[in-house]
This record gives sequence, C-alpha cells and structure tokens, in this order.
Amino acid sequence: MNYLLLIPATLLLLLVFGFPLIRYFWLSLHASSVLTGLEPIYNNGANWIRLISDGRFWQDLYQTSRFAVFSVGIEMILALVIALLLNNEWKSKQIYRSITLLPWALPTTIMALSWRWIFNTPYGPIDQILNLIGFNNLNILSNPSLAWVGTVIADVWKTTPFIALILLAGLQTIPVDLYEAFRLEGGSPKQSFLYITLPLLKPYLLLGLIFRLAQAFGVFDLIQVMTGGGPASSTESLAIYSYLNAMRFLDFGYSSTIMLASFMILIFVCLSAYIVTITITNNFRRYKL
Amino acid sequence: MKLNKTLIIFILIWSLLPLGWQLYTSFSTPEALTQPFIFSPNRWTFENYLQILNSNPPFWKYLLNSLIVGLLSTAITLIIAVPASYSLSKSNNRFSKLSKLFLAGSAMFPYVILFLSLLEVARKFNLGNNLLAICIPYSALSMPLAILLLTAAFKDIPKDLEEASVLEGLTLFQRLRWILLPLIKPSIASTAILVFLFSWNEYPIALTWISKSELLTLPVAMARLAGSSVYEVPYGAYAAATVIGSIPLLMIVLIFQRQIVSGLTQGAVKG
Repeated sequence: MNYLLLIPATLLLLLVFGFPLIRYFWLSLHASSVLTGLEPIYNNGANWIRLISDGRFWQDLYQTSRFAVFSVGIEMILALVIALLLNNEWKSKQIYRSITLLPWALPTTIMALSWRWIFNTPYGPIDQILNLIGFNNLNILSNPSLAWVGTVIADVWKTTPFIALILLAGLQTIPVDLYEAFRLEGGSPKQSFLYITLPLLKPYLLLGLIFRLAQAFGVFDLIQVMTGGGPASSTESLAIYSYLNAMRFLDFGYSSTIMLASFMILIFVCLSAYIVTITITNNFRRYKL
Repeated sequence: MKLNKTLIIFILIWSLLPLGWQLYTSFSTPEALTQPFIFSPNRWTFENYLQILNSNPPFWKYLLNSLIVGLLSTAITLIIAVPASYSLSKSNNRFSKLSKLFLAGSAMFPYVILFLSLLEVARKFNLGNNLLAICIPYSALSMPLAILLLTAAFKDIPKDLEEASVLEGLTLFQRLRWILLPLIKPSIASTAILVFLFSWNEYPIALTWISKSELLTLPVAMARLAGSSVYEVPYGAYAAATVIGSIPLLMIVLIFQRQIVSGLTQGAVKG
C-alpha cells in the first residue's frame, strides 16, 4: 500500500530525468538531421568520432570549465565572507538576509539583460565612469578576450547569495560554546576559524561546491541572453553549443552527443571535486595552515 | 565590528546596485540614456512605463502567464510529492537511502541538458504552446527537492502520534489531512515557495515549448523583448519591464524570506 504512493512521482521522474538520457544515448548513435529528413539512421558512432575531432566542442569545453572554475571559486570565497558576516547578531538581520537573497530570486534572463546594459559600450555606467576619468571604453562584452569576465561577474552577483545561505545554515549548527572553550584554552580567532569553523562547515562547503559546479557547468540562460555565446563564440558554453545544434542546425543526433558527453564530463568533474575537497580538508592539520 | 558594518553595507549595495541602475534607467528619456551622469531637469520620463503597459500583448499578460504556471506547477508538485514523501519516510532501509541519493543527484542536475528530449515529447504529444502542459516538466524538475524536504519533515514527526491515530481508527487519508499535514505546514510552505520561484524563473523549457507571444512567460518575454541584436535593445522600455517584473518577486522575497531560507537550508542539511 505504502509503495503505491510512490508510483506517480517515480513515473514522472523517470519520464523527465530517465527517458532523456536513454534517448540521448540512442540518438547519439544515429544521424538525425535535416540531411536525413530528421529520420534517425544508425551511423556507427560517427557522431562520437565527429565530437572528438570537433575543435569547437573542445573550445567550448575549455570555456565552460573556465567559467565554472572562476565563477564557483569566487562565489565560494565571497559566500563564506557573507555568511560569516550575516552570522553576527544584527538588529535588522531579516532585512539584510532578504536583500542579499534578492539577486538569487530574480529570473536569470532579466538580470542577464540588466548586466548587459551595465556593461554596454558606450552608454553603460562602467564605460561612462571610465570615460569621466579619462580612460577609453572598456568594451567588455564585445571583446572576445574579456567577454567571459563579464559573464563571470554577473554569475557571481546572481548566485553567491545561494551558497551564502547554505553556509550560513552550516554556521548556525556550530555551538557557540565550542568557540568559547577554544578561546579559554588560548586559541586565536584565526585558529578557531581553521580548527572549528572550516572542519564543521565541510559538508556545507562540499554541498555548495558540487551543486554550483554542476549548475555552472550547464550554464545556459545567463550566456544565451547576455552575449548569445559571442563575440566570436568566445563565451559559448557546451549547453549553448548543443542548443545551437538542435535548434539552429537541426542536427539532433550531434546535439544529443554533445549533451551526453557534457553529462559524463560533469559527473567526472563533480566526483573529482568531491574527492579533492575531502582529501584536502582531511589533511588540514598536517599542512599546519 | 566597525569593519563588519562597512562590509555588510558594501554587500547590500552590491546586491541592489544592478536593480537600482535599472530603476534609474527606467525613468530616463532616450537622450538621458546616452549621458547617464549628466543631470538636467527634463531627463525624467514615464514614457518607458507607458510603452510597456500599452504594448501588444500587454505586459501584465506575461506576469499572469508566469503566475498561472507557477501556481499550477506548485500544486501538482505538492499533490504528487506529499504521498511519495510520506511513503519514503516510512521505509527505513537501503531503498530509502538509495532513493535519497538519486533524488539529491537529480536535484543538482543541470536540467538544461534535458531540453531536447523534453521538446521531442512536447512535439509528439502536441504539448507545445500550452501553459498547462508546461507545468508537467516543471513539477517533475522540482520533484526531487520537494520530496527531499517533505520526507525530512515527515520523519521529524514523533511515531507515537501516528500510532495513536491509527488506534483511533483514522484512515491514511484522514491521518494525513488532520494530523500529519498540519504538523509539516512550515515545510510545505517552504517547498511551495521554492517550486513557485523555480517555475516563475525557468527559461530553457519555456523558450523551446512556447512560441505564441500571448502565451510567453515572463523570462522568455523579457529575453524576446531584448531581441537578438546586441545593438537595438530598447533599454529604457526594457528597464521599465525589469522593474515591473521584479516587483512581485521583491514582495515574495520580503514576505517569505524566512520560508525560502529554511527551505534552502533544510534542503542543504537533510539532502
């Protein structure tokens, strides 16, 4: 009887999470594009061979990883600072929290466009201020070697609150007595941070890290709206590339191959991030930081 | 403490600045947009707001569409997730651990990867351009987090309470309705708000499933408003749309801040 209650949820989850992955695997082994009249024809793994020799795929993989590493790295550090700050006793704690939460709650597309306007050349505030102090336009979003920095800044703005809140929840599980006792034993604030806060925060740091890595690796909305993957594909992510293949080039077989490949790489990345973090934090004391 | 205060003010400004800039832009005339830091008496205007409200289809339509999708997805998610979570909270074995692992994995999954296959399903069953149909993938995508949160809430209820009500002869439905659900109300509220926010903000699926302009949800409508060209975005009108589109979320965050935070953090602790 009890297990009957699980059936609707299980079916829905299988339909939306399970079926696509199987379907992608099947499609990735078939040619299914305008050339075949969108009829899938088995093609002996030609999609996978094409993927390996596709420079654009590797370029996008590099760009996606660059975006993920920089944005998640900065977000983790900033979020820790914000969480530590919010963990103090403030008179207007609730309002502070609401305001820091706001960027996360707003739709990504809306804020991506707002950032595009902020980075606008020559009318955006950044370029205007630079002009006032006598510098040339920065041209961030139209410069192929700089545009990705703009997307990282917008992403950091948007998602830091989320990690900060998770870390804040972690901080609040640490008993105050622990710090008190440590201080009485003669521990400095720096030591109490290293030997109490960080180790006890570990599960929360890990969760934030893995969750954000996975999300950043699949970045789509932000880049699609902010730069469209340009200029000159310099901000194109794997998700954008597979989207283009499906919707613009109408090559479903190859698009599926890219998505499946990014999924497998993502699992590998998250597992390695997990193992590396565990190893580092477990050997914390040995490094005498 | 002084330093902390300065830092926190800096963070608050940083969080609000992009929105503030949109607000400032939304009241600027096109001429003023080209010189944002030069103040003249006739740089202010309501024109951008009038333009947005008189557009075709009117802007409030997108808000309404997003509201419908958000509410319906939340309802479907809860109707399916509550029984499933109850059932999971009762099974305390390898099965529940394994399902928890799968749920946490799917909750973290960057779902944009799924869009092509979901689009195929939509085409096959003719679900495109249908606000009710799009709630199915939305509910499914919110399901993992919802089940994790609600299972944890059900597990926190003392066992004796339910055993007593079984002895009283209450059926499962009665127990849920009169005993268990009232007890997990806070978790239901958090879950509902998180699902609502997700559905309200979702982009890739709405982008591929809906093409009729009167059915667009807010995020897609906003992206479409900006067009595909980098150079011709009507920024004044766009900023006005941002401001109007942000007001409902601003209110949600202010009113339900506690539920959102507890939902997110419960998800973190228990998931």
